[in-house]
Amino acid sequence: MSTSNTSVQGQRLGLTCCPTCTNLCQTQQTICSRCGQAVTSRDHSSIQKSWALLITAAILLFPANLYPITVMTSQGQVRKDTIFSGINHLIQLDLLPIAIILFTASILVPMLKIVGLGIYLLAISFELPISKRKLMAGFHIIEWIGRWSMLDLFVISITAALVNMGQIFDAKPAPAATAFALVILLTQLAAKVLDTRLLWDRLESNDDRN
Amino acid sequence: MDRDVLDKSIVLCRSCDLVVRKRALPSGVRALCPRCNSYLYDTPYCSINGMLALCLAALALYFPANFFPVLELHFLGSIRTTTIFGGAMSVADQGYWVVAIAVLTAAVIAPGLLILSVLFQVLIVKYQLHNPFFRKIYKGFLCQHKLISQLSMLEIYMISIFVSVFQLSDYTDLYFGIGTFCFTMLFIVVIFLQREYDIEHMWSVLDEYQ
Repeated sequence: MSTSNTSVQGQRLGLTCCPTCTNLCQTQQTICSRCGQAVTSRDHSSIQKSWALLITAAILLFPANLYPITVMTSQGQVRKDTIFSGINHLIQLDLLPIAIILFTASILVPMLKIVGLGIYLLAISFELPISKRKLMAGFHIIEWIGRWSMLDLFVISITAALVNMGQIFDAKPAPAATAFALVILLTQLAAKVLDTRLLWDRLESNDDRN
Repeated sequence: MDRDVLDKSIVLCRSCDLVVRKRALPSGVRALCPRCNSYLYDTPYCSINGMLALCLAALALYFPANFFPVLELHFLGSIRTTTIFGGAMSVADQGYWVVAIAVLTAAVIAPGLLILSVLFQVLIVKYQLHNPFFRKIYKGFLCQHKLISQLSMLEIYMISIFVSVFQLSDYTDLYFGIGTFCFTMLFIVVIFLQREYDIEHMWSVLDEYQ
């Protein structure tokens, strides 16, 4: 790309891109000429919205991990599994690859997402001196990998539908399933509502080169 | 594509608002933001007839994939089957409707809407339906496209089926149903459809109408 304009923000030129269709618009325009949706240059309330969603998700992470997520009945014996004990059980059954997949999707990814987004929001809110390139790279990873947490919910729904034979052999979801579903939903939303351009505006105002 | 050169010669990064001068790209190459490495644009390549074919194939596979059994469980002489739709409904029956809605949206509703939306867009472009009514529908579909494609998670459901098979194969015998085959084919067709689809190109078609 051209080197002469590497640090010119679109805002400085009075330009912005439409949040719906990414058409180039003037900052003083209120409605995009191409898609007819509202145009705003920056969404400053997005930090607050994102914080609210993230904190709710972080609180819900506790019931999601502490309460059982499935109840398994096998020959009269009832087993209540939390996310972690279920993965432990898989390791004991020598299904290590499956255990690793489930561990990544249901424990590692949600926690990394919450910690990562938290760091990102802290960096914007309190102007922390963290490299913006690294923050942005982390943000893209969070956005991309976040959907994979749905894996656990899909597995629960398949198992619950298949294994359904009363006292002999039965699998049911348990309270943590709802909490876990909400954690995924809220963290995805928190990443989606955040206007990442706010981080880069700070770069211009501070004029640091990281 | 006859693009308005004056308006389209620069592009703003959606993630950091950097002003970047647009350049011609060889096909198959994506332009990334030089500052934050976010995706900027690529060469618009869209074959309308190819997309129409893929849409029709996906539509033909969609119903068997969702309503034929994906897995069969043989346990003590009795056979249980489940469909993708049935999996979600059985979780809802247990009272976990948040989980059921998440599963239904990600695996059934969003992929269906995605296929229908692209099909209507392709038909409107192919048969050059210029009147204001179709223009409005076309615009509406384009505005919602990003959300719908983010919500559809066919690939994650694919992996979930395999994870469930490995998890349960310790207890019982499991067999793949005809639904699994259709679902796999649907998944492949939708991947190609999304590869072929280019939202910037679809927007530029709208500009040409004016």
